[in-house]
Amino acid sequence: MRNEGGIWRTLSIPGVVWLVLFVVVPAYAVVAVAMGQIDSLLQPVPQWNPIDWNVGFVKEAFTSVLPGGTYWPATRNTIVFVAVTVVLCFAIGYPVAYYVARKAGRSKGLLLLLIFLPFWVSYLMRMLAWIGLLAPDGYVNVVLGWFGIGHTEWLSGNPYSVIAALTYGYIPYFILPVYAGLDRIDQRLLEASRDLGASAARTFLRVTLPLSWPSILAGSVLIVLPMFGDYYTNDLISGSPHTNMLGNSVNLLVQGGSQKNLGAALVLVLMTILAIGMLYYLWETRRQQEKLAS
Amino acid sequence: MTAATGPAATIGGHAGGEVELIGLEKRFDDVVAVDRVDLEIASGEFFSLLGPSGCGKTTTLRLIAGFERPTGGDIRLDGASLAAVPPDRRPVNTVFQNYALFPHLNVLDNVAFGMRYQKVKRAERERRAKEALELVELGDYAKRRPHQLSGGQQQRVALARALVLRPAVLLLDEPLGALDAKIRRALRVELKALQEEVGTTFIFVTHDQEEALSMSDRIAVMHEGRVDQVGTPREIYEGPATLFVADFLGVANVMDVEVVTSDGRGCRLRVGERELRAECDFLGSGAASAVVRPERLRVLPHGESGENFIPGMIDRTIYVGSNLQVMVRLANGGLLQASVPNDGADLESHAQGAPVSVHVPPDALRILAPRG
Amino acid sequence: MSRLIDPWGRPRWLRLTTWAYIAWSLVPVLAAIVFSFNDGRSRSVWQGFSTRWWWGDPNLSVFHDPIYTNALVHSLELAALDMLIATPLGFLLAIGLSRWRGRGSGSANFLMLVPLTTPELAMAVSLLLVFTQLTIIPFTWVALGTTAQVIGQVTFSVSYVVVIVRSRLASLGPEYEEAARDLGASARQSLQHVLLPLLLPAAFASTLIVFALSIDDFVVTQYMSAGGETVTIPMLLYANARGAATTPALNAVATIMVIVTLVGVGGAYLVLRWFGHRSGEAGGEAAGQMGMDLTGME
Ligand SMILES: Nc1ncnc2c1ncn2[C@@H]1O[C@H](COP(=O)(O)OP(=O)(O)OP(=O)(O)O)[C@@H](O)[C@H]1O
Ligand SMILES: [Mg+2]
Repeated sequence: MRNEGGIWRTLSIPGVVWLVLFVVVPAYAVVAVAMGQIDSLLQPVPQWNPIDWNVGFVKEAFTSVLPGGTYWPATRNTIVFVAVTVVLCFAIGYPVAYYVARKAGRSKGLLLLLIFLPFWVSYLMRMLAWIGLLAPDGYVNVVLGWFGIGHTEWLSGNPYSVIAALTYGYIPYFILPVYAGLDRIDQRLLEASRDLGASAARTFLRVTLPLSWPSILAGSVLIVLPMFGDYYTNDLISGSPHTNMLGNSVNLLVQGGSQKNLGAALVLVLMTILAIGMLYYLWETRRQQEKLAS
Repeated sequence: MTAATGPAATIGGHAGGEVELIGLEKRFDDVVAVDRVDLEIASGEFFSLLGPSGCGKTTTLRLIAGFERPTGGDIRLDGASLAAVPPDRRPVNTVFQNYALFPHLNVLDNVAFGMRYQKVKRAERERRAKEALELVELGDYAKRRPHQLSGGQQQRVALARALVLRPAVLLLDEPLGALDAKIRRALRVELKALQEEVGTTFIFVTHDQEEALSMSDRIAVMHEGRVDQVGTPREIYEGPATLFVADFLGVANVMDVEVVTSDGRGCRLRVGERELRAECDFLGSGAASAVVRPERLRVLPHGESGENFIPGMIDRTIYVGSNLQVMVRLANGGLLQASVPNDGADLESHAQGAPVSVHVPPDALRILAPRG
Repeated sequence: MSRLIDPWGRPRWLRLTTWAYIAWSLVPVLAAIVFSFNDGRSRSVWQGFSTRWWWGDPNLSVFHDPIYTNALVHSLELAALDMLIATPLGFLLAIGLSRWRGRGSGSANFLMLVPLTTPELAMAVSLLLVFTQLTIIPFTWVALGTTAQVIGQVTFSVSYVVVIVRSRLASLGPEYEEAARDLGASARQSLQHVLLPLLLPAAFASTLIVFALSIDDFVVTQYMSAGGETVTIPMLLYANARGAATTPALNAVATIMVIVTLVGVGGAYLVLRWFGHRSGEAGGEAAGQMGMDLTGME
């Protein structure tokens, strides 16, 4: 409204300054360390001036995540674990979201409360819960014993446990947007489809599923992003280097101490991969929106 | 809303309230929402902007209120340009289409809201707000919240909230649009009475022709961002200036005719084989359109003849209660719709296929230059 | 009709899946809570009921062992500071960004989204490097520890506040503000007398979400920490969950965290419902919104 733009900009200033100081500058610090040098005590010497950047660490990081490199196993684990987890989240989460959004009837309120509950329980607490159950003398082994399945080591380097834990940990974040997407679908569209002669199954395949596709994508992005930086699930559920993911590698390099340069370079590699993924996501959602708008 | 001389006196309009739109234009990127509109609205007038959806009524109103900046032209209030005046400094108030009553304030505080910014003392604010509520007969609802009121009551709170500021001009954007048909009709009468009582200039936006015709002193019919015609309800209904206006205001029969002769006061037309006389100020000759309202046509038994009678055959008769809609097929293939009062006579004479004579009174014909 | 299908019936297997999912998602947590009352030292084998890990044991129970009490206090302290800083910062930013057009507004909008679309680990690494490597003011003022932890938590919390407040702003639309302007309020007055009161429920909901985010945060808090004084409950869980010597007191402290969060959320739900009641909006919606907003991506 007229020349009052100033007041709105003024309101934004504190937040923007904060974000510049603690998002932009730190991001630049990562670049500076990744492109910097290392001193005789193995401490990083950041290079703030782009003219003197050293691309050695970044090159090393790039080759190390490719097949044959030091971190290839971590890359491979990350890809496999993340992919399987997304598939599992879809396979379990979609029916749940669908039921709650469209078929729950009078119990919808209660079900919503119950599927929201895990959000308010810390992720680490939920991992702790499984550690007790999966312990060598824990109840999972006890119950499996009743079926004659012998003693299993779940908590040392077992990739299945890691995938199960990731699925358990992240599935609420997948269900939520999918639920919201399914809940938003106009009931009249489904009625129209049935009215035009499509069976319930065909209506689902040709109307419901395509209309919920954007929310499935959103849910997937929501769980994939944090999994690329996840080191705690592995540390808690496996503790073995065999199941390391990229997040573990970064954490070890940066917090473990001696190779912060390479750690920073690895973060750059990670962000590049994710940026490509995000661009695809944005392009795909725009395409979906245009399809619906026209 | 009668006998409210007291409250009406405190609310009563601001002197003036004369609005002039001069070449007013508003573009949104590639859409021209308001296209060089010129209007003069007199002080104390009940003026309606009438037109179909998307013709630019709301945009015109928002320009006058100051929410949109014109891309061309000027708006003057009592001779002074409003171009540089922000909405809160304009002596103009709005009754929004969905009322926009503040949900966090009760009815009284909603009505008293604007007086805060006019530096009215607290006690005075409360007194005037209460009076305004009395005026709209909601005195007992002061402590309620907006969501506890019916649609019609909310509308009246919105009205009180705007009028209590004694604006020079009150803008109303389809204020009856959200209400059901019965309440609408009742509020129409009340709103008109209120306007006469307070004497404020009302600029009223609607797409309902009946509403505009029954309430307004004058109407501007808008079409694709332009004003097609300005006039009193009667001028507009009976003397539409364009085919669009004729068509938009109720049902109109449009006939392709040929003007044979005209002398500035009357003219002769040819419709198929027949000749008709019309009262018109149309000069010249050639192809034109003739518009006639269904209720002006008279359907008589076959055989009646004389000036301005056209023979035809009944194509269809639709019973609508208070009258009959009779569709008459003419010899040249054209169809005329006539509205015949339901006087209780038997419907046989209007049965399908019956031959009839249609009388077109010369003063009912309106001659317009042909389309395009 | 050879097959009898009830067209009004609900698909049974879907219902079964849903309830199985709910059991799967909640039973392990309940089990962990139950184990905090275990009589023995084990966190995986039930040895009878006792409250020794809660308050019975004079040295090792949650309320007596300083490791737990310190972590509890520090967690709450960080949450309070995060709420105090992130809510007003994000609230103003949301209002500003929703109206500010012109130079810089696009970048500001983009910047606001960065913390939501970056793995927390990347943020944690970047903050660690900037506080340990950059030797200019104001970064030299910040040492690892409580200050750095608060900064880190505020940085990602702000974006959530912005998302929540903006979604509320979007649902309000421009009409109330226009009505206020029409009635003579200036831009600042309409902000103060109309927009702020109407945004109060959103501000309140976002404060609560900031609280929950802070209490549950692990990665950034760990990276910004400096020694025993700055350990939070999630950090304790991470460090001790696998420890052979760890007692069910760890389960007890985790349970306290869950209870604190749930009580906060439940209370917030009631308050929001009351807000909703007053202005005539559906009460459940605001609370449902809280769940939705947690994801921040919608
Ligand atoms: N903010 C805007 N941005 C772009 N185009 C707009 C905007 N506001 C209105 N328009 C366009 O301007 C034209 C006129 O709109 P306006 O709202 O004035 O119509 P209206 O006559 O009030 O219609 P209705 O009876 O449906 O309310 C429409 O084509 C509309 O799409
Ligand atoms: Mg309109």
